[in-house]
Amino acid sequence: MIFDSYEAYKQAGFKPKVCILGSGPAGTTIARKLGAVGIPVVVLEAGSREFSDESQDFYRGKTVGDFYFDLDITRLRFMGGSSNHWAGWCRVLDKQDFDPKAWAPDTGWPISRADIEPYLGEVHDILELPDFRPDVPVSDDIRWVQLIKSPAVRFGEKYADELDASKNIAVVLNTYATELAGDGKRVTGAKLWSNGQDAGTFIADYFITCTGGLENSRLLLWSNQRSNGGVVPNAAALGRYWMEHPTFEGGNAILANYSEFEVDGSNEAFFSPTLAAMERLQIMNFGIRLIESPYPNVKKLIADLACTAPDMAEWMSSKLDQKLRCAAQLYVAWEQAPLASNQIELSKTDVDHAGVPRIELHWKKSPLERRTLLEGLRLFGTTMAQKNLGRVRIDDWISNGSDYPTNEETAGHHHMGGTRMGTDVLKSVVDANCKVHGMDNLYIGGSSVFCTSGQCNPTTTITALACRLGDHLSKVISV
Amino acid sequence: MSNFIRNLSRRTIVQALIALPALSLFRNQPAIVDADEIVEINGWILRRSDLA
Ligand SMILES: Cc1cc2nc3c(=O)[nH]c(=O)nc-3n(C[C@H](O)[C@H](O)[C@H](O)COP(=O)(O)OP(=O)(O)OC[C@H]3O[C@@H](n4cnc5c(N)ncnc54)[C@H](O)[C@@H]3O)c2cc1C
Repeated sequence: MIFDSYEAYKQAGFKPKVCILGSGPAGTTIARKLGAVGIPVVVLEAGSREFSDESQDFYRGKTVGDFYFDLDITRLRFMGGSSNHWAGWCRVLDKQDFDPKAWAPDTGWPISRADIEPYLGEVHDILELPDFRPDVPVSDDIRWVQLIKSPAVRFGEKYADELDASKNIAVVLNTYATELAGDGKRVTGAKLWSNGQDAGTFIADYFITCTGGLENSRLLLWSNQRSNGGVVPNAAALGRYWMEHPTFEGGNAILANYSEFEVDGSNEAFFSPTLAAMERLQIMNFGIRLIESPYPNVKKLIADLACTAPDMAEWMSSKLDQKLRCAAQLYVAWEQAPLASNQIELSKTDVDHAGVPRIELHWKKSPLERRTLLEGLRLFGTTMAQKNLGRVRIDDWISNGSDYPTNEETAGHHHMGGTRMGTDVLKSVVDANCKVHGMDNLYIGGSSVFCTSGQCNPTTTITALACRLGDHLSKVISV
Repeated sequence: MSNFIRNLSRRTIVQALIALPALSLFRNQPAIVDADEIVEINGWILRRSDLA
């Protein structure tokens, strides 16, 4: 069932056991899992079926620190959430991403990749993915990895008919959960805002917040403030360890033979470090995206190489004469070191139309990441040269330690951390089952539970974790 | 014999003569370089042999 207003929903007399906040990939997946085993679920969705400026305005906020996207641009607030404009790039976190790294504090998950692997079959159906091929080692340091560009499933569109037909799932649009109330053991209700006004308190046995990787922290920080710690009793890490995938053009490459690496439909191939290389250099994970360059870039690159290695440049130009597609741009996206100081706070001055404080995001890239960028490109360049696969040139701003440029990709629109998973209540918010520490009936879905970010796009892992949480709850909750 | 040579002790001269062949050997021998060594120049990551 889909209701366009809370008023319409109330008249239906539906009695849910579980209340999910948010209908993005996480919320929709969990609802479908619970609905499939006969558990009645309501999904409260703040937005409507379509984009609107009014709804989007609730997402405005401020960033302090490094340059970042406007917070109402980097996500979408309507049915299906940010899947309405995601690019559909898919990959699951690597096995090594779940392991603690001695050289990077506060890394390591309480679960391993094996814990989500049983759900990857379902994830492939949901995201319409072919099977991933295994990574291919290029050297002891570099792996050629696969990132599948999926058809970018829009969850709102794909599942609208199924949700509408469901007897166990009620999606209620235009219904904003402004805060949860709790007594330090249980969430006792969710305060709602609908049709431009307070709409009372919603009660259910279980609550799952799936409002996105920024909004989960905002909602819980505000709820906790209003309930004097009754919603997240162990709140030391709430809002903290927030992460993105910073993304910048890092250099260029001339390739001996472009067909060495099979590229995808957009002429791109992806490379990441081996665990051994990360350990040796004490760096974070990263992904190098190699993109075939247009012809004029090739000429510029070879002219530059001629100043340094004339013979090499001559050989390259002869290749070019044979019309080989032999140059590439290199983009680097990397894993951020989890830092407590990268955090979501509530604005002290700015509130949305419902009176909820807006987000103040404190975000800065660390020196370890800067080293990851430089050493990562060196590692890739060294592999390319040693294996005679090509030659790499690192951009000057990276080699000479200049500031990050502000006119580039900047990051991936991947909002991770803030309610991270863990066993230490001082450094995490949820346990290995995504249940908020100390609370009996509050769970969290989405990438806010990520302990570390790995280097790959998050939604495949979000969907796998959502399947796992749905499975877990279907055993916990009696029908 | 110049004043300079006359002022040197016999011992110093002998030592200098013994060292001479070795020194010239060093001068004539090209520095031992590894063609596969990776070098970073102007941002390029190259093999030393690329610079030949
Ligand atoms: C431009 C762009 C490109 C991207 N490309 C990729 C990509 O290629 N690959 C990839 O893996 N990821 C990508 N992403 C990220 C991806 O979109 C997110 O990871 C994913 O949508 C997160 O799913 P979610 O369900 O956790 O949250 P969201 O999709 O953010 O959904 C949250 C939902 O909750 C609703 N909501 C919010 N607050 C409340 C509230 N208080 N009460 C009720 N409802 C609420 C929102 O309206 C929304 O529908 C991209 C993102 C953007 C912006």
